[in-house]
Amino acid sequence: MTPTRPPVAVPLTRRSALVLAGASIAGLVMFLWPLLITPAAGQSRVDQPFVFMALMPVVVLVVIAELSEGGLDSKALAMLGVLSAINAAVRPLGAGVAGVELVFFLIIIGGRVFGAGFGFVLGCTSLFASALLTSGVGPWLPFQMLCAAWVGMGAGLLPRRVTGRGEIALLVAYTVVAAYAYGLLMNLSSWPFTLGIAIPGEQDSLALVPGDPVLDNLQRFGVFTLLTSFWGWDTGRAITNALLVTTLGPAVLATLRRAARRARYLPKENS
Amino acid sequence: MIRFDDVTFWYDRATAPTLSGVDLQIDEGELVLVSGRTGSGKSTLLAMMNGLVPHFSGGTLAGDIAIAGDSIIGRPPRELAHLVGYVAQDPLAGFVSDTVEEELAYGMEHLGLPPQTMRRRVEETLDLLGIADLRHRSVRSLSGGQQQRVAIGSVLTMHPRVLVLDEPTSALDPTAAEDVLATIARLVDDLALTVVVAEHRMERVVPFADRLVIVRDGRVEVGPPATMLVDAPVAPPLVELGRLAGWEPLPLSVREARRRARPLAARLAPPPCERPTTRPPALAARGVSVRYGELVAVDGVDLTIGRGEVVALMGRNGSGKSSLLWAIQGSGDRTAGVVDVGGVDPGDLRPARARMLVGLVPQTAADLLYLETVDRECAAADDQAGVARGTCRSLLDRLTPAIPADRHPRDLSEGQKLALVLAIVLTAQPAVIALDEPTRGLDYPGKAELVRILRGLAAEGRGVVVSSHDVEFVAAAADSVVVLADGEVVSSGPARTVLAESPAFAPQVSKVLGPEWLTVDEVAAAMPTEVVR
Amino acid sequence: MTTVATPDRARRSARRRRELHPGAWWLWALGLAAGASFTLNPVLLVLLVVIAGLVVAACRGDAPWALSFRYYLVFGAVIVALRVLFRVLLGGGNPDAQVLVPLPEIPLPEVARSVQLLGDVTVDEVLIGLYDGMRLAALVICVGAANSLANPKRLLASAPPALYEVGAALVVAVSVFPQLAESVRRVDRARRLRGDAGRGTGAMHRVVIPVLEDALDRSMTLAAGMDARGYGRSGSATARERLVTGALMLAGLFGVSVGTYGYLDSTAPPLMAWPMLVLGLAFAGASLWSAGRRVRRTRYRPPRWWPAEYLTAGSGLVVAVGLKLLASHQVEVLHPAIPGWPPVSVAALVVVVVGVVPVFAAPAPPTGHLRAGEGS
Repeated sequence: MTPTRPPVAVPLTRRSALVLAGASIAGLVMFLWPLLITPAAGQSRVDQPFVFMALMPVVVLVVIAELSEGGLDSKALAMLGVLSAINAAVRPLGAGVAGVELVFFLIIIGGRVFGAGFGFVLGCTSLFASALLTSGVGPWLPFQMLCAAWVGMGAGLLPRRVTGRGEIALLVAYTVVAAYAYGLLMNLSSWPFTLGIAIPGEQDSLALVPGDPVLDNLQRFGVFTLLTSFWGWDTGRAITNALLVTTLGPAVLATLRRAARRARYLPKENS
Repeated sequence: MIRFDDVTFWYDRATAPTLSGVDLQIDEGELVLVSGRTGSGKSTLLAMMNGLVPHFSGGTLAGDIAIAGDSIIGRPPRELAHLVGYVAQDPLAGFVSDTVEEELAYGMEHLGLPPQTMRRRVEETLDLLGIADLRHRSVRSLSGGQQQRVAIGSVLTMHPRVLVLDEPTSALDPTAAEDVLATIARLVDDLALTVVVAEHRMERVVPFADRLVIVRDGRVEVGPPATMLVDAPVAPPLVELGRLAGWEPLPLSVREARRRARPLAARLAPPPCERPTTRPPALAARGVSVRYGELVAVDGVDLTIGRGEVVALMGRNGSGKSSLLWAIQGSGDRTAGVVDVGGVDPGDLRPARARMLVGLVPQTAADLLYLETVDRECAAADDQAGVARGTCRSLLDRLTPAIPADRHPRDLSEGQKLALVLAIVLTAQPAVIALDEPTRGLDYPGKAELVRILRGLAAEGRGVVVSSHDVEFVAAAADSVVVLADGEVVSSGPARTVLAESPAFAPQVSKVLGPEWLTVDEVAAAMPTEVVR
Repeated sequence: MTTVATPDRARRSARRRRELHPGAWWLWALGLAAGASFTLNPVLLVLLVVIAGLVVAACRGDAPWALSFRYYLVFGAVIVALRVLFRVLLGGGNPDAQVLVPLPEIPLPEVARSVQLLGDVTVDEVLIGLYDGMRLAALVICVGAANSLANPKRLLASAPPALYEVGAALVVAVSVFPQLAESVRRVDRARRLRGDAGRGTGAMHRVVIPVLEDALDRSMTLAAGMDARGYGRSGSATARERLVTGALMLAGLFGVSVGTYGYLDSTAPPLMAWPMLVLGLAFAGASLWSAGRRVRRTRYRPPRWWPAEYLTAGSGLVVAVGLKLLASHQVEVLHPAIPGWPPVSVAALVVVVVGVVPVFAAPAPPTGHLRAGEGS
């Protein structure tokens, strides 16, 4: 069976793309805040911006409202629900082992098969459902949701023409990149929450020094990431998901495409 | 009320139209029964009435369909929700909310009805269906019959003018099915709804039906039930008996047939009498118990299956049939007891060896299928059993010929799926075959085919054990019957004795002609030659 | 919208067992969390956590999600411990501060030149790590309290109209979830009937594919059922409404982006910070409201806001606003000097203790199977 392009379950209009871009910029600023922050002239110390924990959900909600604005098709909705449930079920499986985070696999495959819009929403709903079901709702959730949504969206934006082994290779490469990018972004936004923020007068620490040149802060962050999560979490996540894509990818792609075919909407009524 | 005007429909990639040139007119307040073989297109016909076909299935539709005078061409199901209430086969799969009350209100919420109206209609519907005491229950905790009644209620609250039911009892055990059908019959009387129902337990609905629609080879024929049934492709034993005896018009209920049967009974040759045969046992189980925590599923059951014998396990849902089958197969839990198949206990063996002693076709047979084509499934089965390539395929061809090799197993019909799984299980050459509820989703001809297959397996000298609550199927297939209740054997013995003993298990032919007779085939054999047409 | 006529007075007087509106619990918890984010005073933070714990203990039901609070407590403790540990391991610090434990500094290669490993442990750095960690822990624990108090399904059911579809998808996810375990168990058992006890990727394949097929089949049936019952019925907005919604969304996101940047970069004009953020949030909120107008759907027995709901949500709000105000008026209390004993003021204590109101205001939670319904 040649994988024909299945219907895009969540259509991305030019307007949704604009909203998505706007939200991504807002979101990115909130992820990259440690590099952007500069203390006010007379301020002695800088606090973590807790206000972002309230802003991020709003940004995510607005994008979701826009993507479902045309009224989400019931088939897309049921598919979202089932895939999110599966993701919520596999997520705790890896909780005990460092880096075995299995959610990305289905988010990437789902985004690939059903398109960027679907991938974005699937990323959001998967993490939210998993948090609801395992009672893991916390201030970090909106950040994870947006990040996973980007992962799903990116998978939907990969070139369509690649098929067969080439497609799997492409997805594996993307999975590795996405796994590290996810890790870096999540780390960056939580770094000052984990280590605290350096207090003026304090030297030689791994913590964020507000107002320092970006490169200096990046270097501290790099060391922090290498020391904490890079070898365990990020690499583990990249390896497990890439392995999943290699082994299960072809079959799951075929299964989802078959479902998409079965659910095709083609009323060619000759009335 | 419903008008089909020269309707033709193709599924995508189909070589022939599923339905062609359908002209059909259903009047207001009518109850119409739709019948036809599985896969004949009767579900397609029903789903067209609310736009699920083609909007959900894909495909091409030509012609015009009108409901209540308006064409519905191009209108998706959601825009027809207030006109047509559609109830699907498996109620549980369609539930959207947690509790019965919320489920009943779901459709009305989408119609945008004011809260007072919703509240009133929910109460009315709860009373109408006799489920008021279930209102706060979780839909998942209900029994099958209750679930189907809730599903019917959930479309009734929208006050549709047409109610479409696609095999509403196919997933239910006999008692629950009776409940639901009685409810439907009452609705027709009380609400003056137009009802279209596809149902394979025809004999329960036929007495109320105004007309019968038969779908055959993509064509549709309509008429009064008694005349339509004369050559219907799907007919209950009662009708078969009537055809055999040449009764005009055909009897539509057991009572009617009983009145007619007296002269026939007098002319019949003496009923076949069972010679008690002693068969060498293929499987002997002693004191099998299965316990899941507190729950005792099977409690000290003895079971012997002879070579060349077909044993039927009967009993309510949850009486322990499945647990017993899994326990004797060896891969299921077994708390106590021994199983002996040719001197070996399959429970002591690894799964790959146990299946060479006892093969099991589970209730959801499709769980065994995971590859993309029929051929690849067959090849995998050959490798797993360590036999020559092509063994599984030739077994499959003997069971059901002409299944396309490149078809996706999930796209096969229920009967074909069952045959494929049975072939895969048989590839390991087990001495005993167990089948768990194999008759689900099979119509009368499909069941007759299964009976032929099972008798054939028994004739090869294998032991066959099959669980079912389909009385007619058991009457035709089984040599002996074991009835389970609460995990214990309540009666067992030759099929004729056990089935005739209990009014609940008596097949239709016994009800008409008396306990000596079980199946139409027996009657046919005993008919005086001049009556047989 | 009119509501169902019920004997309101009788209901209100008898404090029947029912679930508090999940929105009220979330507002209360978010208020406490926001309050926690405004202070570094360990006494106030501990008090907030104790209050959250009290309310959870008094008001939670017997539902599965009600038991999750303890995990948040453990997680909070881990946060505090990690924070202090990192401070000790990597914290440089003020050379003039009082040394608690003298430790040698471990020299690192030139690449990590800005990092100091170990070194003397000072009172300052331990206290800073402790207070900072306690603040984050209190925030997490407050959110955890909402998690174990509010029924997640009913929270989804009361999502605003604009998010109805995604809410419905999540409801599907929550309902399908328990069936997945069943499906896996069944398929795994069936696998053995094919004589395949193997492990590895092949075995995974043999479980994953049937389970996925099963779940997808189920989702399609469900979608058909929902559609046949009117889901997604004629909810299209007019071109004008859509234009307004789109414009509001873009304006909101623009405001939030610029506001965020302005908030971070203090060299930017002050107008770019808070005013822009507030404006952006307002536009975003309006866009959600506007997007929800297209949905023409009514609710059967919508969860209502009784006085208990207002009291609960209000108490959370009082904690948040009160501590925010005190943060500028009593800086020494909310941000105690280090080192030294943290000072406490009556006003601050009173404001925090308001958070305990739900213990008295909230009705008793329903039990057993009545939970999912509107136990009456």
